[in-house]
Amino acid sequence: MNGAHDLGGMHGLGSIDAEPNEPVFHEEWERRMFGLFIATFAGGHFNVDEFRHAIERMDPAHYLESPYYEHWLHSCETLLVESGAISRKELDARVAKLEKEAK
Amino acid sequence: MPVLKADMVETLVKTGASCRADAKVAPRFRCGERIVVRNINPLHHTRLPRYVRGKRGTVERDRGVFVFPDTNAHGQGHKAQHVYSVRFTGRELWGPQASERDILYLDLWDDYMDPV
Amino acid sequence: MVHPRHNAPLSDTALRVKALESLLVEKGLVDPQALDALIDTYENKVGPHNGARVVARAWTDPAYKRRLLEDATSAIAELGYTGIQGEDMVVVENTPEVHNMVVCTLCSCYPWPTLGLPPNWYKSAPYRSRAVIDPRGVLSEFGIAVPDTAEVRVWDSNAELRYFVLPMRPEGTEEMNENELAGLVTRDSMIGTGLPKTGAAGASAKADTQRRRK
Repeated sequence: MNGAHDLGGMHGLGSIDAEPNEPVFHEEWERRMFGLFIATFAGGHFNVDEFRHAIERMDPAHYLESPYYEHWLHSCETLLVESGAISRKELDARVAKLEKEAK
Repeated sequence: MPVLKADMVETLVKTGASCRADAKVAPRFRCGERIVVRNINPLHHTRLPRYVRGKRGTVERDRGVFVFPDTNAHGQGHKAQHVYSVRFTGRELWGPQASERDILYLDLWDDYMDPV
Repeated sequence: MVHPRHNAPLSDTALRVKALESLLVEKGLVDPQALDALIDTYENKVGPHNGARVVARAWTDPAYKRRLLEDATSAIAELGYTGIQGEDMVVVENTPEVHNMVVCTLCSCYPWPTLGLPPNWYKSAPYRSRAVIDPRGVLSEFGIAVPDTAEVRVWDSNAELRYFVLPMRPEGTEEMNENELAGLVTRDSMIGTGLPKTGAAGASAKADTQRRRK
């Protein structure tokens, strides 16, 4: 699809800011998301092409502004809900529960 | 569905999951052949970037037979076919602003190209 | 400007990841200890030090270099660096006439077993968009001046082949052993946006090694 991910040749997207001595993961959630993707992929829930396509289906502004591993979160949530492994309702309920516990 | 266990991780990491396909499929293109990239604009998943559609290039090397993402992303099967490293000049892609000696290589499946 | 929000507070995103993990664990679909093992592997074990060994071997062993350029997957496997996102490898060689650079314009494809996980700049919109249309401009921002007479080859990893660059061996390194040579090879030199450390840096490292041995 002709989505926002197809970036080759685009202008105006800003400077290449290479962080010196960048850590592999910046946040704990990135670590966990990395692991979750590999584990669910290895578990056969989706293939790599489906995974990429689900990222491409993100809202373009969200895609361009979000940190990298948020793409993986979006994709895994989308595919696991579409396959029926989890439901959107129980995911939202779990988020709400954790939000409450964090307060 | 299988669940990945900690003691399986090392093997998984070292083995990976190649997208090469076992299928015996004849290549459509020969090394050195001139091609034109198809101008396709599908709504479905593709690994054919917009910047190369309709452009002319040269097939440089046959990398073998691989699963085709355009079908595999949509439950439509592997449709295994050859993938080639194809060479494009910067001028062909971007016009006279490009340096004469800028070259771009992309890996293109049989279904992404036509002979010139 | 498009810059990702790295500093968002314990956010929505962090909560959603926690929620996803806890649900999947509860349903028995994911084992948290497997997650820990995966994270540890890619955070602490796999990294560009692997690719550096491949480069150092190629610099010191011409027959290995030929194998590496002809069938990188097999040659790299000789050193044990196989697996996820490195199943089908291609290594491209820098020469005085050719400078190579690797990108994935469509996402973030990168050779994990040899280079580890990619840095954020490689996966972000600015590099992905500019590397293919203005490679010399990008290289000059990374401090590399490619002569007009040299060819710049950009490899867009849009399929399942994974690429890295075999940089040129720095001058003045004839006395160095393979380990010392590997120490000169930077991650960026294997992406094509950097050069190996010079022989001078290496000579000083070698002198340190010799002093420590005494």
